[in-house]
Parts: sequence; C-alpha cells; structure tokens
Amino acid sequence: MTRTTRKLLLPGTLIGLILAVIVLAPVLPLHDVRAMDVPNRFAGPSAAHWLGQDEFGRDVLARLIWGGRASLFIAVGSALSAAVLGTLLGLLGGYFRGVVEALTVRASEVILCLPPLLLALLVVTILGAGTGPLMVALTLLYTPNYARVVYAATLQVRALDFVTAQMAMGAHPLAILWRTILPNVMPPLLVQMSLVVASAMMIESGLSFLGLGVVPPTPSWGLMIRAARGAMEVSPLLLLWPSLALAGTILIFNLLCDRLQAVLDPRNVTAGGALWLRKGPRRAALPAVPAATDGPLLAITDMAISVNTSERSLELVRRADVSVHSGETVALVGESGSGKTLTSLALMGLLPDQLGISRGQALFRGRDGRVTDLAQLDEDGFRRFRGAEISMVFQDAAAALNPVHRIGDQLAEALRDTGDAQEISRRVVDLLRHVGIPDPERRQRAYPHELSGGQRQRAMIALAVANAPRLLIADEPTTALDPTIQAQILHLFQKLKSDTPDMGLIFVTHDLAVVAEIADRVVVMYAGEVVESGPVAQVFARPRHPYTAALIASVPEGAADRLVAIPGTVPPPNAMPPGCRFAPRCAHALPACSAAPPGAERPDPARITRCIRWKEVT
Amino acid sequence: MLDMPSTDTPLVQARGLGRNFPQRQGLLGRARDVWAVRDVSLSIARGETVGVVGESGCGKSTLGRMMLGLDTPTRGQMLFEGRDLASLAGAEKRRLSRRMQMVFQDPFGSLDPRRTIGAQIGDGLRIHQIVPRHDIRAEVARLLDQVGLPSAAAERRPHEFSGGQRQRIAVARALSTRPDYIVADEPVSALDVSIQAQVVNLLMDLRRDLDLAMLFISHDLHVVRHLCTRIVVMYLGRIVEEGPADKVFGAPAHPYTRALLSATPSLHPRDKDSLHGVLPGELPSPANPPSGCPFRTRCPVAEPQCAAAVPDFRTLAPGWKAACIKAGA
Ligand SMILES: Nc1ncnc2c1ncn2[C@@H]1O[C@H](COP(=O)(O)OP(=O)(O)OP(=O)(O)O)[C@@H](O)[C@H]1O
Ligand code: SF4
Ligand code: SF4
Ligand SMILES: [Mg+2]
Repeated sequence: MTRTTRKLLLPGTLIGLILAVIVLAPVLPLHDVRAMDVPNRFAGPSAAHWLGQDEFGRDVLARLIWGGRASLFIAVGSALSAAVLGTLLGLLGGYFRGVVEALTVRASEVILCLPPLLLALLVVTILGAGTGPLMVALTLLYTPNYARVVYAATLQVRALDFVTAQMAMGAHPLAILWRTILPNVMPPLLVQMSLVVASAMMIESGLSFLGLGVVPPTPSWGLMIRAARGAMEVSPLLLLWPSLALAGTILIFNLLCDRLQAVLDPRNVTAGGALWLRKGPRRAALPAVPAATDGPLLAITDMAISVNTSERSLELVRRADVSVHSGETVALVGESGSGKTLTSLALMGLLPDQLGISRGQALFRGRDGRVTDLAQLDEDGFRRFRGAEISMVFQDAAAALNPVHRIGDQLAEALRDTGDAQEISRRVVDLLRHVGIPDPERRQRAYPHELSGGQRQRAMIALAVANAPRLLIADEPTTALDPTIQAQILHLFQKLKSDTPDMGLIFVTHDLAVVAEIADRVVVMYAGEVVESGPVAQVFARPRHPYTAALIASVPEGAADRLVAIPGTVPPPNAMPPGCRFAPRCAHALPACSAAPPGAERPDPARITRCIRWKEVT
Repeated sequence: MLDMPSTDTPLVQARGLGRNFPQRQGLLGRARDVWAVRDVSLSIARGETVGVVGESGCGKSTLGRMMLGLDTPTRGQMLFEGRDLASLAGAEKRRLSRRMQMVFQDPFGSLDPRRTIGAQIGDGLRIHQIVPRHDIRAEVARLLDQVGLPSAAAERRPHEFSGGQRQRIAVARALSTRPDYIVADEPVSALDVSIQAQVVNLLMDLRRDLDLAMLFISHDLHVVRHLCTRIVVMYLGRIVEEGPADKVFGAPAHPYTRALLSATPSLHPRDKDSLHGVLPGELPSPANPPSGCPFRTRCPVAEPQCAAAVPDFRTLAPGWKAACIKAGA
C-alpha cells in the first residue's frame, strides 16, 4: 500500500460510508420520514425504531439519514461551487493584477463586509426559502473567502522562478494558470474548503432552524435540532442524534482535507506533519555517559542514514566518519547528492520524515562534559540541543528566516530565556552588530525581504550563534553570495571562530577554494560515503584518493582550454555500484575495486582514504 | 535595407537600457526613483558569450530579464534581430520566445515542485511544436542525456534531485526549444566543480554547435573567465568596465574589477590572512546612489575629485572601456 492510500484510507472510508448511506437512502429499508405515529411520540430506541421516535412519532433514524441528504447536499454543493467561483476570481486577480484584480478580488471582498447571516437572510428573503436559494446564498457568501485565499497564494507562486520560466517559454497565460499555478495554490485551497464545508453546515442548520432554509416536513439536521430543542426536557436524546451527526461529519471533512493536503505536498517535509505523531525508529534518549574531558566535540563513526518506506529501505549515507574537535573547522566537501546536507541535518535531528539514522554513532560532548549519542535521540531529546548546543546556518537564508517577522523579533525569540525584555533587546542589537549588520538599532526592525542577500545571511548567522552553540553547522552559507560578500561572510566566520575559540564549525561546501580559505581539516564525501579526510594543506597538496584528485583538477583556475570534468554523474542512491562507489567514473579502476567496499586506510595518522590503490595511483 | 537584418547587425542589442522601480515611502509619501539599471548599452552577436559580473543588487538580473523581454525597460530599447521587443504583441512575442530562453539562478525555485521533470521539459516542445507529439518522450530523454542525467529522471519530481541535478534539468528545459539566444542567470553558481565543468564545457559546445548568443551572468570569476569572450563588469546599475576577457582579467582597469578579482577565493590562498583585505561595506542603495562615481564609497583609491561627476566611459583600447578617472591614465 502506498503512503498516499494509507493516509487517505481512514477519512476516505468514513466519507464513503456516509455518502453510501445517504445515496442509498431511497432503497434502504427505512421508515417513511413523514409517517406519523402520534401515540408513540417521544418513544425511546426500540427494535423497530433504532434511534427512537420524534415529537410526531416519526422514525428518527430515517429522518437523520434523509436529513443528511439535504444538509450535506447544500453544504458540500455550495462549498464546491463557491470554491470554483472563488478560485477563478482569485487566480485571475492574482495573476493579471491591475484592473482584473479590482474587478474580481476587490469586488468580491465587498461581500465580506456584510455579516454572513444577514447576507444569507437577504438572499433567502428575495428568492424565497428552499434548497436552491439557500445554496445560492451560501455560494455567494463563501466565494470571497476562496477568492482571497487563492489570490494571496497566486501572488506568492507567481513570483517564483518556475512561473517566470513558463512565461519565458512562451506558454499561454491561461495554460500557466491552469497547469502551474492552480496545483500550487491547492494546499491553502483545501484548508479553506474544510473550513467552509463545516461553516456551511452550521449556517444551513441555523437558517433551517430559523425557518428560512429547508422547508418542513422535509427533514434536515438543522430542522431536527430546532424541533428537538423544543422537546429537550422530554427527550434529550432527540437533540443528541442530529448534533452528533453534524459534528462528526464536520470532523471527518476536516480530517480528509488535512490528509489530502499532506498527500498533495510532493516534498513530505518534516514540518508537514505533527511532530508528536511521527513514529520513529529512534529510541528515547539514552542516559548520557560522562567521559574523559579531552575527547573530540563530535565523533561520528560509521553512521548510516536510510530511507524507510514500506517498499524499500535504502542507505543514502553510509560509513560516515567525521570528527570535530572544539575550536576546529572541518569542511565537508563533495558533489551535490553526496550526502553532505543529510549528514548535517541528522546532527540537528531535522531529517525529513521518512529518513532516519540506521547505523553508527554520533557522540556529542555537551556543555556539561557529558557525551550523548545524537543517533539515538528522539524529537524531544533534540530540542534540548538545538540552538543551545548545536545550531545550523542554512544555505537559503531567505527560506530559513520567517518572512512575516522582523529579524529583531526572531532574534529576541531565540534569546527569550536569557533575561528580561530590556536585556534581550540590548543583546539583539549587540548580536546584529557582531555579525556586521550596519546600523543595527534600525535594521532590527527590518523584515527579511528588506535585507540584501548578504545581510540576510548575516542575520541568519546571528540567529544561529545567538545562544553561543558549541557546534555550528553551516550548510553552504556562502554559495548564493557574490565574491566580495562571500569574502566578508568567510571573514565573519573566521572572526566568530577567534571570538569563541571553543566552538567547533562544520562548514559544508562544494567549493574547494572556500575549503582552502577557511578550513583546518577537510572531509571529502562521494555518493553518500566519506572517501578521504585529513588536514586541508596535506590533502590539497597530495590527495590520496582518485576522486579528491579529480575534484581538485576540475576547478577552473588553470589556463586549460577545456575543463577537466569527471565523466558521468554520481550514481543514484538506488543504483549504487557494488564495491567502490567511484569505480564507474574512476580512471584507475580495476576489477578488484568492484569486489568489496574499500576499507579505511591510513596513509598518515591524521588521514583516511578509502581506495585500495591509494599507494600506487596518488 | 529597411527590414533586412544585415549580417553585421548583432542578434541582440540593448540601447541605453534603464529600469526604474519607483518606491513609495509610506502611504502618502512621494514615489522615489530607484534605478536598478542605468544607461546600459550592450550587444551580443551569434556565437558570442558575454559575461556579466558584479554583486547582487547591482542590476545583473534585471538587465538579464530586460534583455530577454521578461521585463520592460523604463528607458532605452531592447532589440532582437533589430526588432524592439517592447513593440511586439502577446502572441508574436510568445512565438519569438522560442528563440530566447533563460536559465535561472535558483535551482530550488525554478522548477515546479508538483510536475514531473519530463512534463516540464516537454512544455516547450509542445508549445512550439518542436517535435511531433509522439517523439516528445524520446526528445526529453535526449535532452536529459545531453545534460548528463539518466532518462529515468523524466518520471520523477524535482524534490528527488539535489540542487546541482535540478540546475541541469533547467538547462535541458531551456535547450528544449532550440533557442538562438540564452540568458543564463548564475546557472552554475549552485553546482559542484566536476559538474560545473561539465556544464561549462556543455555551454561551450552549444555555443560552437548551435552558434548560440549567450548572456552569462555570474559571480564566479573563474568560470566567467573561462567561458566568456567578452566581460561586462557592473556596479550599482552601471557598466564600469567592458572588454575582452583577457584584458579585463589580465590587467583590470577599474578598481572595482581589481577588488572583485582579489575577493575570489582560490585553491591556493595567497596567505592565510588574505581575507582581511576584503572590500568593506556593501553595495549602496540604488535609491540613494553616491554622487559622482558610484564606487567611490568603497573605492580604496578614491579622491575628492571622484565625487564631482559620473566618470566618463573611456576607451582604453579597441573594445575595452572603463569608467574611472584613473583608468588608463
Ligand atoms: N527526502 C528524501 N527522500 C529520498 N531521497 C533523498 C531525500 N533527500 C535527499 N535524498 C537523496 O539523498 C542523497 C544525499 O542528498 P543530500 O541532500 O544530503 O546531498 P548534498 O551532498 O547535500 O547535495 P547538494 O550539494 O546538492 O546540496 C541524494 O542522492 C538525494 O537524492
Ligand atoms: S578503489 Fe579503485 S575505483 Fe575506487 S577510487 Fe580507488 S582505484 Fe578508483
Ligand atoms: S573614479 Fe575614483 S572612486 Fe571611482 S573607481 Fe575611479 S578612483 Fe575609484
Ligand atoms: Mg546540500
């Protein structure tokens, strides 16, 4: 069973059941909803009448089912038609802006100014009571909600490069709207939908209750509630059934929309699901072991990270050996897809949902000198470390900072436990100054989008070092920056290191020149494995692994006419070659290389290489 | 001679391009001019690759968008084969867009997360009917192969690829319509060296085989030096130096070009403290540019005289110009 079907199974079945009962109402062996049996009014549940009889002695079960027909038809019908109308208006308004925007979104917003019940009353008064007019009223009522939500989402999506790419491609605007923008505004639309169905059912009940909706004796849940209320003292159960049906259906709809939204998200990001619902192979925090005081800050040995889905279990990273001493800068370098980011995310407990550490250890020495195995921590355990002991600077500062809060407020939030408000606001300014943001008193009030790329990265760094972590992980922090700004940020990292001599730094990058400028030691990763590690100067002067050597040779710093490119690509994780993973691209490969994964060799006490031919070829 | 594009007409020609993004201060405040690009003239011939370097916010991307007709210049004209892009109507412009393509900087934002790679690369093929409908799959596979990805990638969605892999997908998408002219906005800045080398070699091959005109925007001077025939250095919306690659990099005439070169990290750092000589500060706000020479607030050799007027764009040698009072003096 795929993830999708599993997620949709529960709400899907429930909705299916409800629909089946309602659709099949005419053929089910139900009592006539209008057949009165006055002598037995208010009779309790019996074999003939499972849910009892109402104030006219009519069968409650039959009325509940037939009433659901009316209530659901109205609620779902109007929610859907409002969704179609509102989405159309929102898409057009958000995409074309200008006059179109005024005619669609702005115009429909006028409706939002009117109190909902009043508006519904107005329409029903004009068109008369009944199912049709009620649906028109509810559709009118909810269209602006959708329009607004879709409009906002469209504005956001429209600004993204992939939409621009479609325009550059010469795609017709309507095709762009339909194919590219609509699927991407779906998630907020679904949330809105679940809210609207619930609210429409409430209003339908309310209006029917007021006598303006469904006309008796046709049953609807609203009418049933209305009637039962009058007889509450005599038979409280009569009120219970329709209320239960109403609340239950609303809940199920919310669940369905929630799950649909999760399923439609192709990324399944960590943030997507409730954290406390995450099942994990990780066990609860082990008791930390006190250890000798002079060991490394972090020692990762033989760590593996795997995807675990029901279909497959696949090691994306394996045999990762990295150690970081306090005060040391270790560069993690390798091609894209080599597992640098996964390794760093694992240390933060931020691996995507279906990924987990499946083997090995990551021993981290905390501030109190105790050693914890990060590979064994659960979500709660990690929360203690994040920010305070280990923190991370992400590649994409624009995405990692919260766009709706001022940077000063975000920093204050990170510092909230460190003192009173005044103390905190002083520290916020200090931090911003420390990372080189000019005029910090004023800039702290800026939103992330108001800062330049370099300043955003500085703000992000300020956030990461706010609580003086012992280990800072920086995932490609300068990749998106210009040379003069990159030089400044590298300089900032050097300054941070000399100001906090105890902090260890893991610097993830794909740029060997940056490694040469900043790191003490380098760990080279290839296809999810560490292939070589050692002091930077030694490794660059004489690489002991063919991959490192090829990587260094492909830097466009020479005067060669054509660049030295390593042929082929990193193999995908599900098709890793046996033995040495570099073999298909290695100029020195022998049959023996593919026999078994090369073990770790030590050309020098401080260095490791995983190549069986390191002695001959390097 | 009227409508005939003569052989020496450059394929792409920008004439005095300027782009203003007026910004309103507060609700009632007066709109203030913010010029992202000022007075840029540039032409690109077939088979030529012009590299644009400069810091972010200096107007490179705005220039790139204007030079592809994705943005309308406030001043000046953008000509493609002698035709002003601003004068073209919707359908005609969409048709012309087959011949002009863009590769974006951000490998995370430039692909639609919800559609398969194959569908996205196939868009251009379908819109412009490059190949018959039943050949689309094969053509997508060929394009993927051309950028070094397995054809199975077509069935997958962008999130399954790492940054570098996505960028190659974006290159494949741009190549799908068989364009004559490509604007590549930082196309290799997110790639690793070995792949970057493949992409750079690929772009060089394409330039040769397809006689492609290319505007290559990048901040990686090593790559630009390697790939481009002509270099344009921008600062605060203006071109400060333009010339043949070997001249601009070999004997940079403008102090900003020199600063850029020394800020570029190298495999062989000159000394451990080389980063201490970094250029201070950031690009001034385009809303409030310095008077006179735009670079004078950061220029290590600025003089009072530099504030007097915007320096002339002086010719130092044929095809080599710089806007600094000290250049070539
Ligand atoms: N959520 C996921 N599900 C399945 N595979 C994944 C997932 N995230 C990453 N991978 C795979 O794991 C491998 C390692 O990815 P990772 O992001 O760590 O690489 P990286 O070295 O950081 O690359 P880059 O330099 O491009 O950032 C890649 O093959 C990638 O395709
Ligand atoms: S083990 Fe063999 S294939 Fe692998 S890097 Fe060494 S020589 Fe190349
Ligand atoms: S004109 Fe003056 S300020 Fe401008 S670059 Fe030349 S020396 Fe520096
Ligand atoms: Mg990464």
